[in-house]
Amino acid sequence: MNSYKQQRVRDPLHDLVEFRANEFEDALWQVIQSRPFQRLRRVKQLGFSELVYPGATHTRFIHSIGVFHTARELMAHIESELTSQFKERRAQTALAAALVHDVGHGPFSHSFETVGKRLKLPNLKHEAISAKIIRDSELSDSLALLGGGFPSDVADLIAVDGPTDVYSSVVSSQFDADRLDYMRRDKLMTGTQHSEIDFTWLMANLRVGKVKQAVDEDLVGEVETLVLDSKAHFAAETYVLGLFQLYPTVYFHKATRSAEKIFTELLVRLFHVVGNSGIPKTGLNSNHPLIKFIKKPDDLDLFLDLDDTVIWGALSQMVSCKDKILSKLAKRLRDRDLWKSADLRDYVRKQSETSFDTAATDRIVIRAQDEINEWSETNSNEVPRIIIDAANRPPYKVTEASSGPLNQIFIKEGETLRNLRDTSEVVRAASVFKLNRAYFDDSDTVAKKKITDAIRSAIQEEEK
Amino acid sequence: MTPRSISKSIDDLVSIIAVADGEMIGRTRLQKTAYLLELTGLGSGLPFAYKHYGPFSQELADTVEFAQLFGNLEEAQRQASWGGFYSVYTTGPDVVVEVDDGKRGIIELAKEANPISLELAATAAFLATDGFEDPWQETANRKPDKVSRLDDAKALYKKLSAIAVPNAWPVI
Repeated sequence: MNSYKQQRVRDPLHDLVEFRANEFEDALWQVIQSRPFQRLRRVKQLGFSELVYPGATHTRFIHSIGVFHTARELMAHIESELTSQFKERRAQTALAAALVHDVGHGPFSHSFETVGKRLKLPNLKHEAISAKIIRDSELSDSLALLGGGFPSDVADLIAVDGPTDVYSSVVSSQFDADRLDYMRRDKLMTGTQHSEIDFTWLMANLRVGKVKQAVDEDLVGEVETLVLDSKAHFAAETYVLGLFQLYPTVYFHKATRSAEKIFTELLVRLFHVVGNSGIPKTGLNSNHPLIKFIKKPDDLDLFLDLDDTVIWGALSQMVSCKDKILSKLAKRLRDRDLWKSADLRDYVRKQSETSFDTAATDRIVIRAQDEINEWSETNSNEVPRIIIDAANRPPYKVTEASSGPLNQIFIKEGETLRNLRDTSEVVRAASVFKLNRAYFDDSDTVAKKKITDAIRSAIQEEEK
Repeated sequence: MTPRSISKSIDDLVSIIAVADGEMIGRTRLQKTAYLLELTGLGSGLPFAYKHYGPFSQELADTVEFAQLFGNLEEAQRQASWGGFYSVYTTGPDVVVEVDDGKRGIIELAKEANPISLELAATAAFLATDGFEDPWQETANRKPDKVSRLDDAKALYKKLSAIAVPNAWPVI
C-alpha cells in the first residue's frame, strides 16, 4: 500500500478539486506547498479589477489549481480518444505545466511587466521568471520528485512556441486550460452576467484532430490539437464572443486601466528616486522588499518577496514620504482617486456632425493622440499630464502570423476540419474592439481642454 | 498628412518594402527582417520581445496598420495552396529609397529566404542576445516541429552574417 494521501480543495468555480493519492499528484501537492506557489495566494488574478468589481479578489493561487483541474479533464478526453497511443509521461508534463504556468507573475502582473518595459528590465517578464522558478527553486525540488529531468521538461513545454502536439495544446491553444478557467472564473468573481459559455457541451464535443501549421506561405506540417465536433458549432461561437466581451467590460475597463497607469508611474518614480540615492525620500526603509528588489532586480529570491500585499502595505508609508510626486501617486492609488479618462473615439462622435467610417475615425484618433503626446511631453514635469492608452482586441485572428492551432478553432465535419471563421457568419462579422483613451488629472483643466482641442483639429485635418 | 510621431516609423517600414522591389510576402518575414535590421544597428529603434514564434514587435505591427490608414502601404490577404492565408505587403511603384548596402543586403536575402529558415535564424539570434549559451539548441527546443529546417537556417544565418553591419552579428 502506498503512503500517498488524497488532498481536497473547495473552489467556487469547480466545487471539489481532488489531488489523488498517487505519486504524480502527491508531488504536485508538494509543489503547491512551496514558497513560490504559496506566494500566488497574494497575487490577485485580475490585479486592480477589484476597484471596479469588488468581488474580483480571486488569486492566481486558486486560478492555477483550477487550470490544473481543467487540464486534467481535457487530458481525460485526450486519453479516451488516443487510447493505446496515449503518452502518460508527456501528459504528466503538460499537467504539471498547467499547474505552475503562472508562478512568475509579479504584483499586479501585467502592470509590473510594463514597468520592466519602461525601464528596459527584460527580466521582469513573467515567462522568464517562471522558467527560472521552475528550473531552479524550491518548487523545482518538488517537481524533481518525478525525475531529475522533469522540471526542465515542464519549463520546455511552457516555453515552446504554441502547441506542438495535443498534450501541449492543453497548456497553449485556443482551448487551453488557462483560458477555460480564467474566463469562467473572472465572470463568476466579477459578477458580470454575460460571457456565459456552454462548458459542458464544449468538453463533451472535444476531439483530437490534425491541423496544418504554416509560416507565411510555407507549410510546416501537421500538428495534433484539440478541435470540436460540429455539434458544438454554436457553443464555439458563444465561446469566442464570450471571451471577446470580457475585454471591453472587464479587462479593458477604464477605471482598472487608470489604476494600472498610476501604479506604473508610481513604480517608475520609485525606481528613479532609489536610483538617485533617495531611499530616505521614499518613506520606505532600506530593508523594505520593494527597495531591496529595486536595487537588485535580477535576484529571484528578492522577486519572490514581492506580491500585491507588499505594494498595498507600502502605500501609506509612501503617502507620507518626502518625494512629493511619489506621495501623490501613492495617495491616489490608496484612496482610489483615479485619473479620469476621455474616450477619444467617443469624443470624435460628439465633436463632429459628420459620421466618419472606421478608417477615418482611426486616422483622427491617431492624429489626436500624436498631438496630445507631443503637448504632454512638452508641458509635463516628472509625471505626464496626459497619458494615452491604446489597445485593441480582435474577436478572432485570421492571418498567418497568428494562425495555426494556437489561435484558431477548428470544427470537425465528418473527416474534414473547417476553420470557425469559415463556418460562422457571426464570428466573421464581429469587428475589432479598439480602445483609445487619454487619462488626466480631473483638476487639470488645461490638459482636459487640450484633449478636446486635439480631437477638433484632427477632425478638421480629416475633413480637408 | 501623416502625424509627426509615426511618420518616421512608417517611412522606415516603407523603405523595407521598397528595397524588396515594392513587395514583401508574409507577416513573419516582415517581422523577422525588421528584427535583423534592429539587431545589427540598421533599424529604427523598434523594441522586440519574444512572442510565440520568435522576436516580435507590437510597434511594428501597429506601424503596418498606421501605414495602411495613411495610404503608405497595402496589405492584401492571399490564400495558400494548402488552404491557409498569408499577407502580401506592397508599396506604390514610384517609391524609391536610398539605403546603405548593409540594409539592402539583409532585406534582399530575407526576401528570397524560406520564411521558416528566416524565422529560425532570427529566433536563434534573438536567443543569443538573450543570454542563451546554445541558441540553436534552444531554438530547436522551442520549435520541435521545425527542427528539420535548422540546417537551412544555419546556412542562411551564415550568409546574413557575412554582410557588413554597424553592430556585429552574434556569433552562433
